[in-house]
Amino acid sequence: MNAITKLEMKKNLQDRGLIFWTLILPIVFTVLFIAVFTSGTGETESRQVVLSIVPGYTIMFVFFIMISMTESFIKDGNTGMVARVASTPSQPYLFLLGKWLPYMYIVMMQIVILLLFGKVVYDIPLEQPVYLLILSVFLTFMVTGLGLALAVAVKTNNMGIALTQVIALGGAVLGGLWMPVDMMPDILQTISALLPQYWAHQAFQDAMAGTIGYADLLQTSLILLGFGLAGFILALLCYPNFLKRAKG
Amino acid sequence: MLTINNIDKYYADDQALSNVSLNIPAGTCYGLVGPNGAGKSTLIKIIASVIKDFDGEVHFSHNKLRIGYVPQEIALEETVSARDNLNFFGKLYGLLGTALKRRTDEVLSEVGLTERGKDKVQTFSGGMKRRLNIGCAIMHKPNLIIMDEPTVGIDPQSRRYIFQMIEQFKQGGRTIIYASHYMEEIEQLCNEAAFMDQGKIVKNGSIDRLLQKHAVPSVYVKGENCLPEGIGQCGSVMNMSGGHLITTNDPLEAMENILTFCRKSNLEPDRLELVKPRLEDVFFSLTGSQLRD
Repeated sequence: MNAITKLEMKKNLQDRGLIFWTLILPIVFTVLFIAVFTSGTGETESRQVVLSIVPGYTIMFVFFIMISMTESFIKDGNTGMVARVASTPSQPYLFLLGKWLPYMYIVMMQIVILLLFGKVVYDIPLEQPVYLLILSVFLTFMVTGLGLALAVAVKTNNMGIALTQVIALGGAVLGGLWMPVDMMPDILQTISALLPQYWAHQAFQDAMAGTIGYADLLQTSLILLGFGLAGFILALLCYPNFLKRAKG
Repeated sequence: MLTINNIDKYYADDQALSNVSLNIPAGTCYGLVGPNGAGKSTLIKIIASVIKDFDGEVHFSHNKLRIGYVPQEIALEETVSARDNLNFFGKLYGLLGTALKRRTDEVLSEVGLTERGKDKVQTFSGGMKRRLNIGCAIMHKPNLIIMDEPTVGIDPQSRRYIFQMIEQFKQGGRTIIYASHYMEEIEQLCNEAAFMDQGKIVKNGSIDRLLQKHAVPSVYVKGENCLPEGIGQCGSVMNMSGGHLITTNDPLEAMENILTFCRKSNLEPDRLELVKPRLEDVFFSLTGSQLRD
């Protein structure tokens, strides 16, 4: 498994596309939208906008890792890499875990860098850093779990990209990452509460402001863990079919 | 070394292999010949343990069996170096530390890529990628090497290099299973072969025996009026490339007839030669179909 993780990590660190999706694009969006939404507003309002956009866009953009995960699995299937690895003594489920683990590291790094960017450029508060770290781990687990499910379930890259956009952008709109949830109609507010993006956003904002309690932290962590586990279970269920397709 | 008994394999309702049985002795280079879609790759994946859901039995008699599988596709990670790829597969085969490094150096040398070891695979030519594709399969010094069309789409130099590698494997006593639809490769490299068509083994055995038993030799003669009138009694005659191809069970008699006739008539043929039977002719005579692709 270690060999698979190392190779996947090395491959990803050289991928400029991944740097674009995970860091450059979110930073550009964050700067742009903060500039738009804070122009002509007072200082208090501006602070609120910054406090919402920095974690909001961080959460939205971590979902784009699902594109890289899908591409990687589909490519390995098409190039015969999966079949070749299957001919070695390596266990098939270790291949799945070995490929998943680097994305945990990457998303963790992405969250840390984007929050530090917010701290350095916009002086956002990071009042409860340990809680933020805990939330980051669960957010990472959730998004890579869903990514793993998508990666083994879809048959083409385009399908993976399309579904990622729906999950990332749809979830961002409905989850209150683009606009405050209380400005939405009642029905959308109800839907919002069913999405992991909403819970993550609320908890990140509270932890940044230093107002999150144990109960809320635990609740959000369990929700994110639940979504992540659901993704993992789905991935494990779809994996035999993925292997069958990939081995030909 | 390897015994395969009554293998059946279905993809949904399509039968890819039907009642396939083979016995591959240790130390042989065994060819699997057949057109695309004959079932060669499926059989190879079954032997290499890539495909596990099939009916029948694959039995290996070797106690310490190590299989090296060279897939038809170039199954490499192209964004990293040749050395990284070899290291990766070496680790999957259980090599570590200095043993892994030493073996990586050895294999880079064996596949002729020592100078390019640190370069990314995506900068390699097709032939270099094919060589590295083989290199990744021999990291653990396998005693059974299974190669699925390892020379597809490469230049003659790389093909010759790969043939030399295979000759070295043979000299090292390794058993090789070599699948190809290039009959001349099988003829050149293998001692034994099995013809496959539509998921079945049509015929198998030693190459010499297959040629002797199923291919009819021919004599080719080219030259004006060089064909004696009664030559048709020796075998069938057909026009080919401006001359005549006489397919006969006794090619020497046919040649003697032609020479005697030419001497008597004071004629000199432009070409008179014995045409060696080829595996392709054997396949044609056994299946009644030409190789597709």
